[in-house]
Amino acid sequence: MERRAHLAAGFRRVLLAEMRQIGARPGLMFMLAPFPLLLFVLLAVVFQLGLPRDLPITVVDQDRSSLSRQMVRIIDATPEVAVTQEEGTLSEGRQRLLSGQAYGVVLIPPRTERDVLAGRRPEVVLFYNNQYMTPGSLVARSVGGALGTVAAGISIEARVARGADVESATQAVVPVPIRQSALFNPSLEYVQFLLAAVMPTVLQIFIGASAALSFSRDRQGVAGLGKSLRLGGTLTRTAAGKLAPYTLAYLLVLWGADALLFGPMGARFGGSLTFHVAYGVVFVLASQMLGAAAALVARDTVSALAAVGVITGPAFGFTGITFPRLSMNGFSDIWADLLPVTHYLELRTDNILRGAPLDISMPAFVWLASLALVYGGVTLLLLWRHGRPRPTQAGEGAR
Amino acid sequence: MIAAFFREIAVAILAIWNDKGARSTMLGATLFFSVFFPQPYLSEVVRDMPVAVIDQDGSTLSRELIRRIDAADAVAVARYTADMPSARALFLKRQVHGIVVVPPEFERDLLAGRAAPIAVFSDGGYFLLNSVMSSALSNAARSLGAEVQVGRLTASGVDTTQAMAIVEPLRVTTVPLFNPTGGYASFVLPAVFVLILQQTLLMGIGNLKAGRRSAGGLSTFADAIVYVALYSLWAGVVLVLLPWVYRLPRIGDIAVMYAVAVPFLAAVTAMGFAVARLIPSKEGVIFFLVVLGMPLFFLSGVSWPAEAMPGLLRAVAFVIPSTTAVPALVRVNQMGADLRSVETTVFVQLALCLAYSVLAVAVERWKKSRSA
Repeated sequence: MERRAHLAAGFRRVLLAEMRQIGARPGLMFMLAPFPLLLFVLLAVVFQLGLPRDLPITVVDQDRSSLSRQMVRIIDATPEVAVTQEEGTLSEGRQRLLSGQAYGVVLIPPRTERDVLAGRRPEVVLFYNNQYMTPGSLVARSVGGALGTVAAGISIEARVARGADVESATQAVVPVPIRQSALFNPSLEYVQFLLAAVMPTVLQIFIGASAALSFSRDRQGVAGLGKSLRLGGTLTRTAAGKLAPYTLAYLLVLWGADALLFGPMGARFGGSLTFHVAYGVVFVLASQMLGAAAALVARDTVSALAAVGVITGPAFGFTGITFPRLSMNGFSDIWADLLPVTHYLELRTDNILRGAPLDISMPAFVWLASLALVYGGVTLLLLWRHGRPRPTQAGEGAR
Repeated sequence: MIAAFFREIAVAILAIWNDKGARSTMLGATLFFSVFFPQPYLSEVVRDMPVAVIDQDGSTLSRELIRRIDAADAVAVARYTADMPSARALFLKRQVHGIVVVPPEFERDLLAGRAAPIAVFSDGGYFLLNSVMSSALSNAARSLGAEVQVGRLTASGVDTTQAMAIVEPLRVTTVPLFNPTGGYASFVLPAVFVLILQQTLLMGIGNLKAGRRSAGGLSTFADAIVYVALYSLWAGVVLVLLPWVYRLPRIGDIAVMYAVAVPFLAAVTAMGFAVARLIPSKEGVIFFLVVLGMPLFFLSGVSWPAEAMPGLLRAVAFVIPSTTAVPALVRVNQMGADLRSVETTVFVQLALCLAYSVLAVAVERWKKSRSA
């Protein structure tokens, strides 16, 4: 019992020392909660519309018939696109694409209406900017759909003219209709999709960097790591005491962002809250251990930060949220598994979006916990090595 | 004067080489990130995404439909399951990323000219997989449907041309431009490369200048010239050489690229001096820049359209050089835009360069007057 109290006292002493350090550094305090929350608000504002609307497109109507005008009207009526310019030639339309004023050009060639009536199957072409893939494919889908509606109308008229009744003619237009439903996230909201994934990825940088800063500050200081170790008594208590203020701060940020996401922003939470809390805690711990280990491997503070930046900065591409993991090369697949955020996002998807039973999520949870343990083990090992009194330490301090 | 200037140039070059932090950001990190960052995207497109099929009809036509789905490059029929719960279990385990249900009587309805719907379940949590599923399925369903319809019409005595005109009176062709295969690396990397230039240049300047006093106008000007020149070389590596190595489409004129890139790098350099004077610690500058990388990428409007962002945010984002330079350089390099199409961006970059220079000088004066 007495031993327990002693250990807890060591933890408390390191904790208080760390809090004093934070208190003396306004920049660090800003980085703990206000800055990540500001970034969250910034990203939330970027994706606030959920789905892009009224993407500008250009029409080159060389037919100027009632059919071509009907096409333009129906295209303009789709919510995702807006016909913002009409040009006389395709090269003028192309210029609109190049200067970024339009994402697509619809070309309706001369005699389109006449050719339709004569059964010559004229061609209407949509050129769209696929370099900008998100808006480009949205434009392709909505304009393609609108033109498909026009074509379907003509097809129905032709069948009715041949003696079919309207209902069977309508059915014949789309013989194999697809009832597509997205399992999970049926509204295909970008907020759910991107914001919910980008925020933890950005937070992983903050968490790793703060842990790295905390340990390299001690290492670079005159007293070295020895002082913290003496305060803490044991390696574990020292590490826990140093990291606890950050664990708490970033858990609050993580859950604060979730509260905004599932509260005012109206995202749907479909899973277990207890489990969400559990993997959130493990995620923050694993990211801290990653940062702490990096700080203890690197030679100075700037290199420690650079190492955390290199590992966590480009993490988003590896998580498989945008480009799927099943199509990645072997290196990326392995690297992705070493990043806490990959497993955290998978757990989030499983739990919140899919409401999957716990046994489905177990492999990812075990991965995340193992990363925390392995990085934590490395941290303790290096802490032990660097904390040993060394004859050279005095010389290093004087440098 | 001239000699003094060249001496300052030499000093600036040596300063980069001798400062470990600057060397590793301005020389090492630029190259490292441009090799490391592309790794996840290098296969460009999704191939053979596994899907599960529940064929409740088991007819010739249902098998034909499934064959056509399997024939698409992007998807592969990986599993046949008896019912929805078992398909759903595979889906949750991420062993399949889509489910197709062909209902009983599919063939009978289709041959009788009635609508024969199929049900498709895709993954709404992963947008790329979701759209891969939609396009593979709609192509297969449309081609089979049209064939059956034309067959029915010709069987009733209509000639083939006329039957085609009834089934598809208007041909709608969609032509993807600039990134014809819809490659993900081709989409993301050209923008990311520009952002890497900006961020590592800012970090390098932060490493060299944060918390230090200005060594005078001539020296600062020489530093700026050296940074812009060094990064103009990097621009050639990252925006011309690497796309060639990674086989990304690049059709732009290199002269036009530099007409945008040099003002952009000048604006970034001026911003770097201002930031280094505003944030006095090296660690602070580096951290700030690492964290901002992703938000800045989204602000550039390449992955998320600028039209879908609020006007106020777009106006504020203008002060970051990459916001306008990323789309302009992508338009030049990947879309072949001429100088006229990007001239606004060139003016914006020059204005930013001027504004940040003024800010950097003002901050320096203010610090001096405060310490005096």
